[in-house]
Amino acid sequence: MNPGDNLPTRVLTVEAAPMHVIARVLRDPNPIHLDPKAAAAAGLGDRVINQGPNNVAYVMDMLLAAFPGYRLAAFDCKFLASVRGGDKVESGGVITEVAGDRVECDAWLKVEGGATAIGAKATMLRR
Amino acid sequence: MVDQFKFPGGRYRITREEDADLRQAVGSPPDPDGRAHPIFYYIATQCEMGISVGDLCAMCDFDVKDGPMMATSKVEYARDLMVDQEYDVGGEILSLVRKPSRTFGAMDLLTYRLTLSDQAGQVLSCINEWVLPRRGETAA
Repeated sequence: MNPGDNLPTRVLTVEAAPMHVIARVLRDPNPIHLDPKAAAAAGLGDRVINQGPNNVAYVMDMLLAAFPGYRLAAFDCKFLASVRGGDKVESGGVITEVAGDRVECDAWLKVEGGATAIGAKATMLRR
Repeated sequence: MVDQFKFPGGRYRITREEDADLRQAVGSPPDPDGRAHPIFYYIATQCEMGISVGDLCAMCDFDVKDGPMMATSKVEYARDLMVDQEYDVGGEILSLVRKPSRTFGAMDLLTYRLTLSDQAGQVLSCINEWVLPRRGETAA
């Protein structure tokens, strides 16, 4: 584990159905996440828009899988672009610093063939 | 002036069922030790800050139908979040600042802090920034 090491990437295809589950958990009925017509009416294209916290969760899961025995101590992210239903996304990262039980990383979520949706800095701490 | 507005807050319980539903929805493995998914930092604070996102926007003279956008979110955890644990939510608005925007002409940047605490003290603190587009307006 050294600065510059890349973290194992995680790839998944974003489905529309789970957005309904997240809408209930988040208590957020915003129709751009549930109805393609609402997304289109808002000028956001013809597919539903994934909730931002879902995109963050993908990156957090990549980090937790990369560091067994560590917990997430800090996470600082920028929301850079939307992820839509049907998009294939890849979360990944790189170690930037190792100091004792603490590991600093840059992390991201990228849409295949498109933009970076999430850019983040994370601190992992050994339990 | 919304600066320094304190959220009414509330109490949020991360249920085992909701944690399982969320994990299934985002493709996350279950945690055998009862830890909640860390994204509950955002869900718990947002759900129980005591006012709706629509009301928060209205306080900023912004119609939620005009599309607020999450810009950044920063969280620091003192400990893991656990399922079937109740957390108290609190927080305050830190700033509302008008800025020029190449995309919208002008925008307001809303910054607020939310915390989760249990009997042992503060578990996490997060700071969220939202962009409130001010289409057709100027920053001056």
